[in-house]
Amino acid sequence: MAKTLILLFFGCLILSVPVAFTMGLAGLVAIYVDGSLNPLIAAQRMFAGIDSFPLMAVPFFILTSELMTACGLTTALLRFANALVGHLRGGLGHVNILVSIMFAGISGSALADAAGPSAIVMRMMREAGYEKNYAGALSAATATIGPIIPPSILAVIFAISTKGVTVAGLFLAGIVPGLLLGASLAVANHIVSTRNGYRGRDTRASFSELRSAGFAALPALVMPGIILGGILFGIFTPTEAGAVASAYALFLGAVLRAFTLRGLYDAFARAAIVTSSVFLIIAMASIFAWLLTYLQIPQALAQTITQMSDNKLVILFILAGFALVCGLFIDTLPALIVLTPILGPIAYSAGIDPLQFGMMLVLNLTIGMVTPPIGPVLFVIATVGQLRIEALSRAIIPLLLAELIVLLLVITIPGISTFVPNFFGFAN
Amino acid sequence: MRQIESYIVAINRALVAGLLAVTFAMVFVNVIGRYGFGSSFAWVEEAARHLMILAAFSGAGLALREGRLVAIGTLPDLLPPRLALILRWAVVVVMFLFMALVCWLGIQFVQFGWNKETMATGISRGIPYLAIPVGCALFLIQLCFFARRFVAQDFEFDAGHMADTDGQ
Repeated sequence: MAKTLILLFFGCLILSVPVAFTMGLAGLVAIYVDGSLNPLIAAQRMFAGIDSFPLMAVPFFILTSELMTACGLTTALLRFANALVGHLRGGLGHVNILVSIMFAGISGSALADAAGPSAIVMRMMREAGYEKNYAGALSAATATIGPIIPPSILAVIFAISTKGVTVAGLFLAGIVPGLLLGASLAVANHIVSTRNGYRGRDTRASFSELRSAGFAALPALVMPGIILGGILFGIFTPTEAGAVASAYALFLGAVLRAFTLRGLYDAFARAAIVTSSVFLIIAMASIFAWLLTYLQIPQALAQTITQMSDNKLVILFILAGFALVCGLFIDTLPALIVLTPILGPIAYSAGIDPLQFGMMLVLNLTIGMVTPPIGPVLFVIATVGQLRIEALSRAIIPLLLAELIVLLLVITIPGISTFVPNFFGFAN
Repeated sequence: MRQIESYIVAINRALVAGLLAVTFAMVFVNVIGRYGFGSSFAWVEEAARHLMILAAFSGAGLALREGRLVAIGTLPDLLPPRLALILRWAVVVVMFLFMALVCWLGIQFVQFGWNKETMATGISRGIPYLAIPVGCALFLIQLCFFARRFVAQDFEFDAGHMADTDGQ
């Protein structure tokens, strides 16, 4: 049965069947071929896989970022970032990084960032004379900050499938790694810009420009405060925080008179369709993940790994390597759903903090979004910027190295992930 | 035929957008109710879950139309155009058979849950389970209309919405 499952899964993937269906199909056919399980279990797993109230935070965070973009607040963030760091060497590159950090606070997905602010800065960089593949590569790399800094869709999904990890705890765990990711990309951008002579804008922004840009961006900048503050002080659950954030975005849009009725309807429809494609993958991957557990593959893998070493750090490195390889070939979301129940127990029995493991896995698989051959963020940037995927893949290598250094730090120093949540009382 | 197709797409879009809007309103009003009026409804969580599950399955066909059901395109890109075309038709057939099977399983699942009650709202469990067969049926209808364009990889992705800010 295990063979049927794995063979069908990879077979369908290669034959270009949509990823969501490959997992459900492999699972369902494996159940039929085996014959000892009731096929109804597939329908039951599919339903149960998305039947979770914390998971309902996902549509709300998607809706929020749709509404905030419709309000024109993305542009306001961009202007503010430009006023802050635009004058530095490689200025627009730094603007690209900073705006992704700010946008990460209102959006939980890398694809939203890649299609939104990152794509806009990419065009600005090209007009300013940056090499087009570097501009694209940096925009793809900065998009990975989105799922690390809270709110994060991936963090929600990891937290709901792991006992003892709360969405709030994992949100907090992402703050330091997210900022480190930004810092490492800034260093890489500085080096590249020095070598290629990319300059910043000619004059530093005046205080009044800074103030007015900051003021315009303020409504977007307070969003993470509302979300995190509300969750931390126990005012609302993460899902309710998502709804409150959406309501806040609606309120802003009304005040700024940014919405037409048509635009509002489109924002809801789009958010619902994006949610649907995310939930469909979760539902189908749930069949697959359940079968792997039923076949006791996690136990077999755990045995193999614990035979290799009983050192915490070595085990975490092995798990990270495994996840990195999986991330190359499987899309982030299905990989997260399948790997969490498989690798998690191994990590916890070795004494690794679930928050650290969760951060490692989320960061690891997010980096997989910008690595060839299957990097959805790369595809978005290549499409938007009309770039060749091969050239883009080459240009992103130095930036990937910078991101891998952050992953290395997250693996070796638990405090990077655990300090902030522990400070707020989220501990295991 | 085109007319029918565009009606179905419009109804499907209105359905998923409406479901999201209702879920959003319920959860938000519940938060307000808890602090503003000191009361909230326990059934909201359950209803929100079930409505979003219905939205999730019902949106599958639209996600297909917009090219949001990601697949790995390496093999069809490498193949000569004729073979790639045949491969894509095969993918359409595979998707159709799979979702038809899930639809059929979903109906059985509804029957299985019909005599059981849910925790909070006390309705028959079969009702939320209807999301699976309803969503799959909608997907099958959308797939029939969209198959030709799927094979041609002619998706209706409104890439314009976020790039609008470009000119500003």
